[in-house]
Amino acid sequence: MSKPVVIVEPSPDTPLVWFEIAIRGGASADPIGVEGLHRHAALLARRGAGTRDRAMLDETLDSLGAALDVGVSRDSIQLSGLALTRHLDPVVDLAADILAEPRFDEDEHARLLRETPQVLDEIRDDDSALATRWFDWLCCPGHAYGRTSLGTESSLAKLQRAAAIELWKREVVADNLVIGLAGDIDEATAARVVTRLLSRLPQTGRPAVTLAVPPSPPNGRRVILVDKSDRTQAQLRVGHLSIRYGDPDTAALAVGEAVLGGMFSSRLMQEIRVKRGWSYGAGCALRRSRLPHWFEVWMAAGIEVAGPAIALTLDLLADYAAKGPTDEEVDFAKSYLVGAMPFHVATARQRMQLAVRDAVFDLPAGFTAKLPEALGQLTAADVRRACATGIRPEAAVTVAVTTADHAQEALEAAGAGTLTVVDHDEY
Amino acid sequence: MKLVGTPARTRGINDRMTQSCQLDAECPVGRGVMARRFVLENGLRLISAIDKRAPIVALQTWFRVGSRHERPGATGMAHLFEHLMFGQTKDMPPGEFDRLVERTGGESNAATWVDWTYYRLSLPARDLPLGVRLEAERMQHLVLEHTPVESERDVVTNERRERVEDDVDGWLDEQLMAQAFTVHPYRWPTIGWMEDIRALSLPDIRTFYRTWYAPNCATIVCVGDFEERVLLDLVASHYGSIPPGELPQTASGLVEPEQTRERIVRAPKPIATDRLLVGYKAPGQDDPDWCVLEIVATLLAGCPSARLYRRLVIKSEVASSVDAQLTPFRDPSLLRLAVTAARGHTADEILGIIDQELALMTERPPQKAEVEKAKALAETDFWSALVDVDGRAEALGHYETALGDFRKVNTIAQRLAAVTADDVARVVRTYLRPERRTIVIATPESPDDESDDE
Repeated sequence: MSKPVVIVEPSPDTPLVWFEIAIRGGASADPIGVEGLHRHAALLARRGAGTRDRAMLDETLDSLGAALDVGVSRDSIQLSGLALTRHLDPVVDLAADILAEPRFDEDEHARLLRETPQVLDEIRDDDSALATRWFDWLCCPGHAYGRTSLGTESSLAKLQRAAAIELWKREVVADNLVIGLAGDIDEATAARVVTRLLSRLPQTGRPAVTLAVPPSPPNGRRVILVDKSDRTQAQLRVGHLSIRYGDPDTAALAVGEAVLGGMFSSRLMQEIRVKRGWSYGAGCALRRSRLPHWFEVWMAAGIEVAGPAIALTLDLLADYAAKGPTDEEVDFAKSYLVGAMPFHVATARQRMQLAVRDAVFDLPAGFTAKLPEALGQLTAADVRRACATGIRPEAAVTVAVTTADHAQEALEAAGAGTLTVVDHDEY
Repeated sequence: MKLVGTPARTRGINDRMTQSCQLDAECPVGRGVMARRFVLENGLRLISAIDKRAPIVALQTWFRVGSRHERPGATGMAHLFEHLMFGQTKDMPPGEFDRLVERTGGESNAATWVDWTYYRLSLPARDLPLGVRLEAERMQHLVLEHTPVESERDVVTNERRERVEDDVDGWLDEQLMAQAFTVHPYRWPTIGWMEDIRALSLPDIRTFYRTWYAPNCATIVCVGDFEERVLLDLVASHYGSIPPGELPQTASGLVEPEQTRERIVRAPKPIATDRLLVGYKAPGQDDPDWCVLEIVATLLAGCPSARLYRRLVIKSEVASSVDAQLTPFRDPSLLRLAVTAARGHTADEILGIIDQELALMTERPPQKAEVEKAKALAETDFWSALVDVDGRAEALGHYETALGDFRKVNTIAQRLAAVTADDVARVVRTYLRPERRTIVIATPESPDDESDDE
């Protein structure tokens, strides 16, 4: 039987304490057709707990100069706290109330149902967020990460308060939590905080989470033009399903990612921005998650060069998958990644957050912090092999948020595959 | 041209510190960290703050030049330099700057705003000498030629498209400043007007560099794991011989006339619901009332229990979001309220409620407990900004550059802690009046929409 994971990073340099409570599961476990349930439950739990309704809870927290925020990723619900050291005890009590005694008030449930579609509006107003939403949906149909954590107009209509309560009962149990504490807190105080956070929670063991086997990605290239009026640019995402963070090739593909698009001197930034001035930025990233996730290229190209930018990106990907990085590029990227690690673990809060993330991903303790050791043992051949298998230009999906009247023809000629035009508020 | 300092290789470090780096001021910046300001004979300022909790350094170079120092027709110049400064120098080919930094694991970036431009290096502690050398090199020897300038001009125009033309919030922000200010240079956007960016000439670009990129226009801020004597030695040896420039008279004499009537601009945009940005004329950051207005901003929309948030988003559900922000500018600027309308509701409806809430704030001023709440949040914000070396360096650099004294980082915190309920009532009456505000509204497009400026 698993136990709650507890991570403590003391550092008295500021009179602040941060805590992160991750509830494993996350939006990827939303029932099919009821996307948005984890988010709905988490936000609702934050809107009143114990003896306090939403207004009282907000007022109490603000009066302490504190914050308790909820977030939902594909892999977990997070309750994040920030408190002045002298106010830590009452803030922890409020967090414990949210975990153990959320009220799930009926009127807040109804209000949240009215609010969430407006978050969809905000995304539709933001081209970058819109491109990401469509890319997530279409990159690998059937994948758990393809379902939106926010929900859709139709899935939101199916959200039930009872289902949110049931989810909370099932998932918010002591052994399903990862708790991180950092800042102006010693080990003894941290132990007391953890006890108070867990004391009222069921000790029923970590709930079984069905790890859906990711489907095979679709063959062939596809391009989706998300049509929105009056655009001067095309927000672009190009990518495909790739490996899991924690896969044996993680370190090698991190080097591959850095060479292609993880630094300013990377190939994408040099080719797209520096040589051609086509976009303010261009880069790529392997999404870090518990299951295999996307490898994704991003940029915002001028609408008049959107077609050539996509074509060039696909050519760069094809060349990279076929030949991989040079020995010199591998050496450079390894130097960069190893040298950069101290910046990722410089503060107690950063160290705690990385450790919490590793635990949520079911990785060995210290996996990310120890990546420099793995990087040191890599050869250029290791990296080239990882790129050849982890980067698949032949299966690349392209999403472009732009104005169809001005960009469709060029996108069709970009060699990105079959083009489908959708309206920007269709999803 | 006055040469200052003494070649490092011929003198002992104590002599060099005495002769070329004069300790000028000091103050604590967070727990256990002391910031000390030195001034070189050529006018270069250096702020040093040792923090050995991680083997890294934040090395930032702040120039007292921002978009306020530009002229109409040549807007965007200061920001263009944020790009050009990563290019070729006399001793470095194109791209070498980034390669040298990235090989260490470090990162470089830059930012421009109305009152300043700053260049940021985050480096492993052992690479501090590299950072100082690179910064000194590009302060003196940037190569400004046609091809790289044109390439960066294209990048900047794409940046503008992404942040303004295709971003409704960027458009609202730009329009607000353009309407709220009629004389002061705050009226043009830091990124510049598109036609100006396209028209900036190479001779003008070179002149701007020679004029502003001088040691007496800069402050180096270094926070992290280093020995102060080593830093002083490095700075003296790399910068000591750079002559000071002749800085032009700045635009500080430009005083924006008092606004006496409300200004409103509306335009259709491809958005789902109305968006509203309201700017009330507010004092500069060094005015004691600025801190009182900062508390007012928190009470209005800076936390989940804030008055406007509760009224607009929770109780009446006429808005999906509301935010309040007081701009930290040297000269008088704006307290801004940004609101997104909920489906089925309008910006005008929201404006009416804002007026009601502001009237309530005047009629029934916040009691002590409510003000104490905002002060507690301000205290958390203060410490949060000083958590890492980059944050500490940014705070020191901003106050030194925008307000002339890095010690203001603590002055502002003390002023915030001293705000009273009476102060809040007074500044609401003084500043948050309809005739002192400018309103920009974006509405969802419809086929028959036309611009309607009032």
